Amino acid sequence: MSFLKELTKGIIKENPIFVIVLGMCPTLAVTTSVVNALGMGLAATFVLICSNIMISLIKDITPASIRIPVYIVVIAAFVSIVDMIMEAYLPGLHKSLGLFIPLIVVNCIILGRAEAFAGKNTVLMSIADAIGMGLGFTLSLTIVGTIREILGAGTWLNIRVTPAGYDPMLIAILAPGAFITLGFLMAVMNMIKERK
Amino acid sequence: MKYYLKLGLILFIFSVVASGILAFVNSLTTPIIAAKKAQDEIDAREKLIPGAVFEEHETVDGESYFIALDEDSEPLGFVFIASENGYSSKILTMVGIDADFNIIGIEILDQGETPGLGANCENESFTAQFAEKQALNLKVNQDDGEITSLAGATITSRTIANSIRERANSLKSALETGGEQ
Repeated sequence: MSFLKELTKGIIKENPIFVIVLGMCPTLAVTTSVVNALGMGLAATFVLICSNIMISLIKDITPASIRIPVYIVVIAAFVSIVDMIMEAYLPGLHKSLGLFIPLIVVNCIILGRAEAFAGKNTVLMSIADAIGMGLGFTLSLTIVGTIREILGAGTWLNIRVTPAGYDPMLIAILAPGAFITLGFLMAVMNMIKERK
Repeated sequence: MKYYLKLGLILFIFSVVASGILAFVNSLTTPIIAAKKAQDEIDAREKLIPGAVFEEHETVDGESYFIALDEDSEPLGFVFIASENGYSSKILTMVGIDADFNIIGIEILDQGETPGLGANCENESFTAQFAEKQALNLKVNQDDGEITSLAGATITSRTIANSIRERANSLKSALETGGEQ
């Protein structure tokens, strides 16, 4: 188990969205635009790194039978701290992400990585795992967000990219668009994996 | 029994430490956030009616509004905050109107509507159309009004228009009955 392997596995091989299929709620809900997708991905990555470090530090003093409630306390505390500090010092970013930050608490990627990885591995490996998974999550959200924003609003990062005559396909930024996009992307991902 | 008490105690200790840290961070950030919100309101007022001096008043119902005065203390108009539950959040809209209740401009102060749909109500392309409309009978196009709703967010658009109309009407009747304190 090398540091590099843990770092890169989250991007394709164990991609949290397309392969492990965790964290579907934020994936479907916040990918209406690239900015939202990136913001959600980065905020979740930050919380994931903090919680993975903390959980791998306390793994020896946490009794196995109450590890889940302990993890939830740790994760919820970090999310609340990020929320408060962001609101005080980065109000602009907080305003555009406001609704999504509390959602990170229930993001099962974070609890999933705590349970599957950080609770059993060293701090260093847990950091690598968190960065890798976070990047994989952010990347996946950005891809979904890119497709939905271009089809549904005709823009990318709020810059118009489609010709003037393009009539935005509203369904792409509505809920069904999220499911359709995700379905196609998963099919592509499976195709790539089968080729190998 | 002892085993379960021990588990409870461990979880208790974790929770106490976490709450302690949260309480500390909260005590640090609350004043900054409150100051920031107050400053936002002042900035929004300045933006709606530039160069005016604002005087806070209250109607008999206890709802506060601001009278905007120019340098010679002549009234330019009013500023108030309309708030109403939209599709998934409370929408706070700051509204500037002139003495005839024509809207000078609006500014969405706070909302938590659906990203990509209702959340677009903060965009200039939506808020700009409120300017110069009569606040007393403001309605969205679905209700045969002049405001074009956001695509896919009729409830959000209607909430904003209705909340402004209701506040404007209650302010008008309060001013007419001299219900000022």
